[in-house]
Amino acid sequence: MSFFLESFLAACRLAWSLDPELLTIVRVSLSVSCLATVFAALVGIPAGFAIAHGRLPGKRIIITLLNTLLALPTVVIGLFVYVFISRRGIFGPLDLLYTQQAMIIGQFILIVPLIAALTIAAISRVDERYRKTAKTLGANAWQTGLVVLREGRFGIAAAVISAFGRVISEIGISMMLGGNIKGFTRTMTTAMALEYDKGSFTLAVALGLVLMAISLGINVLFNLIQGRSSR
Amino acid sequence: MILYALDKVQQRCNGRVVLDIDHLEIEGGRIHALLGPNGAGKTTLLNILGFLETPVSGTMLFNGRAVEPVPKRLLHLRRQVVLVDQHPIMFSTTVASNIEFGLKIRKIGKSTRQRMVDEVLATVGLSRYKTARAHELSGGETQRLALARALVLEPEVLLCDEPTASVDTENQAIIISLLQQINTERGTTIIFTTHDRLQAASLAQHTLMLENGRLTTTAYENSYTCTFHRNGSSQVRGILQGITEFFLPAPPPGWPPIRTGRMHIAPEQITLERHELQPRTGSTMTGTIILLMTEGEKIRVVVNVGVLMVVLIDQARYAELRPVIGETICLRFEADAISFLQE
Repeated sequence: MSFFLESFLAACRLAWSLDPELLTIVRVSLSVSCLATVFAALVGIPAGFAIAHGRLPGKRIIITLLNTLLALPTVVIGLFVYVFISRRGIFGPLDLLYTQQAMIIGQFILIVPLIAALTIAAISRVDERYRKTAKTLGANAWQTGLVVLREGRFGIAAAVISAFGRVISEIGISMMLGGNIKGFTRTMTTAMALEYDKGSFTLAVALGLVLMAISLGINVLFNLIQGRSSR
Repeated sequence: MILYALDKVQQRCNGRVVLDIDHLEIEGGRIHALLGPNGAGKTTLLNILGFLETPVSGTMLFNGRAVEPVPKRLLHLRRQVVLVDQHPIMFSTTVASNIEFGLKIRKIGKSTRQRMVDEVLATVGLSRYKTARAHELSGGETQRLALARALVLEPEVLLCDEPTASVDTENQAIIISLLQQINTERGTTIIFTTHDRLQAASLAQHTLMLENGRLTTTAYENSYTCTFHRNGSSQVRGILQGITEFFLPAPPPGWPPIRTGRMHIAPEQITLERHELQPRTGSTMTGTIILLMTEGEKIRVVVNVGVLMVVLIDQARYAELRPVIGETICLRFEADAISFLQE
């Protein structure tokens, strides 16, 4: 117990002193996860909206497929992307393996179904009367769609926040596609795994604290958005 | 001027016919009431008149031109007709932004928009809520805001689905007077649905009645669930709504031993008598008069016989009988006054 307490106090001191190595790891984690979330949102939100709002054939099958993809393990995605971007893969010449771009691609694949599925849920929850009201007030199909999107905005924001929470805490993709290169592709989760392997818990616990602080921040934001949505 | 002309219009929902209009013409510039019980097809008809639903068959003319189910054409028509829902929903913005929505779509300039919003808010008496969140308004205020949101667009036709059904008496009076004002001042055609005959009679210049998706002249009133039991060969005992018992002394030939269903007793085929006279043909019921009102050339008498029974008598009979509210009176009708309704 004292060992854990000592590690915890040392980790607090490390975090408080803004250790450069710690900051670099946090910066890499945040930039990779933020970019992956932004790109995934740009694809997932329109896709989810089109599926929920439009009259697509096979809509139920698409939704079932998306829900299945939510359970996809990160190592499977890592392996899948690895096949394409490794030296022998079709995108091998692009030299993407063990880069932040590779991690972004993997994380993007991980959360696009999540954002799309949660956007579908958010849009489906929008009262049908909004659509009818917009139409009777003279809105065309595009303007009606924008009304529905606006009324579902809190649910969509919650989808993006959830997706960010998913990628910031994942390890499989970062490890397999990033390679855990110090100062370059080392993220909070991969660094924690490495420090654990080394038996050096101080940095691991410090990173754990930062990760939990970020998770807490995300959840506070999520609750704020949900609170506004239910008002 | 005939604004709407519908011919053989039919609408289905999950394979079931919910509206079946043989022919209907609606005159412009007037207030029309669409009267009928729940599930009669009033809202469906309103949605069709508002170009929000396309009927599965039939033809429809608006201002003499055929309504084609082409998105661009329907959009053009929708910008002349606005529907206010029974339970209107407000966009999650301010009161002013809700009203501005339709104006922005019509590309009205900002200063003109502001002026129009102020004017319409003053008309509906909601000026003080201009910057308030629309979701924070009460039910009656929301209904008025929904009217303001529609009126600011100065539509040719205003369709209102049960405009006063879910508001308090004060807001009911405000809404009714607003509808009258708009019709008088702007000549806007108003079509509203209601199941309140009194409201229809007081507000509308013309009343349409719907029953089971069909236009009817007999109104939905005096429609009851009834069970008939045949007693031997000469008499049938009927029980209305499981409450009121009456006898049919001369059942038509082929009348089954037990018959249950919804039936209608034609109000104009019921006669009122001060004392039950025996022996006479027909069925009799006794009840208390609870309402007397004029309806065109007729007098509407509502009698509580356990269920509320409407009787329409002509002026001459009224002058002769002079019924008063609270008086006990006898109702008499023949078997042919009864018709069975389709479920």
